[in-house]
Amino acid sequence: MSAALPEDAAGEISGRKRTRRLRLTRVPAPLLAGVVVVSFFLLCAIAPEAIAPYDPIAFDYTALLSPPSLAHPFGTDQFGRDILSRTIAASTIDLQIAIFATIAPLVIGTLVGLFIGYYGGWADILFGRLVDLVVTFPFLVIVIAIVAVLGPGLFNMYVAVSVIGWVFYARLTRGEVMVLQQYDYVAAAKVLGYSQARILFRHILPNAARPVLVYWMTDMALAILLGSSLGYLGLGAQPPTAEWGVLIADGKNFFSQAWWITVFPGFAIVLCGIGFSLLGDGLADLLDVKR
Amino acid sequence: MSARLTEPVLRVDNLGVRFDTPRGAVNAVSGVSLTVGAGEVLGLVGESGSGKSVTLRALMRLLRRNATASGRVIWRGEDLLAAPERRLREVRGREIAMIFQEPMTALNPVLTIAQQIDESLVAHRNLDERARRARAVELLDLVGIPSASVRLDNYPHEFSGGMRQRAMIAIALAAEPSLLLADEPTTALDVTIQDQILKLLLGLVADLGMAMILVTHDLGVVAETCDRVCVMYAGRVVESGPVSAVFASPRHAYTHALLRSMPSGEAARQPLTPIQGQPPRLDRPIVGCAFAPRCAFVMDACRAATPPLMLVGEGREAACLAADRLAALETVA
Repeated sequence: MSAALPEDAAGEISGRKRTRRLRLTRVPAPLLAGVVVVSFFLLCAIAPEAIAPYDPIAFDYTALLSPPSLAHPFGTDQFGRDILSRTIAASTIDLQIAIFATIAPLVIGTLVGLFIGYYGGWADILFGRLVDLVVTFPFLVIVIAIVAVLGPGLFNMYVAVSVIGWVFYARLTRGEVMVLQQYDYVAAAKVLGYSQARILFRHILPNAARPVLVYWMTDMALAILLGSSLGYLGLGAQPPTAEWGVLIADGKNFFSQAWWITVFPGFAIVLCGIGFSLLGDGLADLLDVKR
Repeated sequence: MSARLTEPVLRVDNLGVRFDTPRGAVNAVSGVSLTVGAGEVLGLVGESGSGKSVTLRALMRLLRRNATASGRVIWRGEDLLAAPERRLREVRGREIAMIFQEPMTALNPVLTIAQQIDESLVAHRNLDERARRARAVELLDLVGIPSASVRLDNYPHEFSGGMRQRAMIAIALAAEPSLLLADEPTTALDVTIQDQILKLLLGLVADLGMAMILVTHDLGVVAETCDRVCVMYAGRVVESGPVSAVFASPRHAYTHALLRSMPSGEAARQPLTPIQGQPPRLDRPIVGCAFAPRCAFVMDACRAATPPLMLVGEGREAACLAADRLAALETVA
C-alpha cells in the first residue's frame, strides 16, 4: 500500500469532466418542452420591450376594444392598449411572483425538514402538530387573511405565502430524510467518521433534493395562479401594473363585448403553468438515475 | 488459519443493547463478551434476529435513537461506548471501518466512486489532490476493479453488485484501518461473487495486517474464512472457540443442531434436518436457556436458569448444560 503516483493521474482528472458532459445528452422530452416554454416566458420577462410590438401602457383612442387583428393579434382594451404587449409585459411580474413567492419557502422549508428529519425528537412532534394546523385551513384562505392584515401589495403577498408555504417543503424533506437515514450509505458516512454537517449536506441533502426540486417547479406554477388570483381580487399586484390576474380583472366588465381582454392573459397563465409542470416532470425523469 | 494468541485489540465486555419501542423494551443483545486479536478474523454467526448485526453496530455506536447500549467496548484500552463524540469520530473510519450487506444502498448514488473515496482520504489522510487521485486508483486496483482509473469516475449505478461491494471495501480501506467490521458482506451477492469477495477480504486482512469481525448467517463462509467463531442465539453468545474445533465437535446444543441442519455433500436428495420451532421473542423476559424449547438435549435445569458460559476446552466456551453429553456423542460417533 505505498502511495506511488501513476504517470497518467493528471490525464484522468480531465477525463472526469468528459463523463459529466455526456450525461446531459439524455434529456427527456417533457423537460425539453418545459425548458422551451419557460425560457420563452423568461425572455418575455427579461426584455418585454424587445418583444412587445407596442408600449403596454400607451393609450390609442383610434383602436378602442378592437378585436384580434393583424395589427393587434390579441386585440385591444377599452383604452386601446395592446393586449399582446400587456400580456408580455405582465410576464415580468408573474415570473417574479413565481420565484419570490417560492424561494423563501424552498430554502427555509428544506433546511427545517432536513434538521427535523435527521434529529427528530420533540421538534418533530411540534412540527407534526404545526403541519396538522396548516393543512386544515385552505391555503388561499390563510394567504388572503394574512394579506388582508398586512395590506394589499406584492411584497406582503410574498410574506404571506412564505409564512405558510415553507411547511410543505419541510414536510416533504423531512419524510425523505427519514427514509434516507435507514440507508447504509448514511451509516457508512457516520462510520467513516464524517462530521454531522458533512453527512447532512453532502450525503443526505442531495439525495433528498429530487422530490423537493420537482415540487418547487409545480409550486411556481401554483404561485403564478395564486398571484393572479390575488391580483384579480385586488390584493396582489396593483393596477396599472400589468399582471395576468389584474389583466383578467380589467377585462371582466367587457367580457360580453371583448372576450379577448380576459382570454389571452388566461392562456398565458395556463401555458406558463404547463411549462413549469413539464419542467418539474422532466426534472423528475432526469434525476431518476437510480430507481 | 490458526488462532493467533496475541493481545486483543478489541475487547467487548458484557455488551447489552435494549430498544425501547412503543410496545415495550426489546433486549436485542445481552451479556455479549468477545475479543479480537490483531490480524485475527472472528466470525459472528446466528440466525436472523440473533443480535449479531446489532452487536456489530453497537461497537461503533451506530444504533438508532431508541436504543441504549450498556457494557464496555474496549478499543486499544479505551471504552468506545463512553468516548466523547469527537474522539469517536477519530476512531471511526481511521482505526475501525465497516462494510455493509446491501451494495445497492451502501454507496451514495449522487457521488462518483472517485468522490466517495476522495472524501474518506480527505477526512483521514494528509494528501494533496494529485496524491489522493493516485491513491484512489491504487485502492480500486487493490480491490480488483479492472481499469480502475476509468471506473473511478463512474456513479454507483453504473457498477454491478459485486463491483459495488468492491468499491465499498475500497472506501472503507482508504484510511488503512486496523479493524474491519463486515456486516454480512456477501449475503446479497451470488455464490461466485461471494467467493471472490471473501477471498479478497481474506487477502486484504493478511496483506494489511487488519483484524476483521465477519457477521454472517452462513456457516460455510465461517468455515472458509474465520480463525475463531462466536455463535449467537437470542441476543447471547452461546458458544465460541476456534472454528475447526467448534465445527468438528460443537459443545452447545444449538451449534450442534445448526451444523446438523446443513446439507451434507455426500447424500443428495436426502431430507434436511431443520431445527424445529421458532427463536424466542425478545420483548419478553426469557427464563432459563433461550434454546430450551427447541432443544433435543433439554433437561429440567435448562429451564430454571440461564446457563453461564463455561470453559469447555482450550480457548473454547459454551453456555450449555449438555456440553459433556455433546462431547461424549462425538467420541462415540
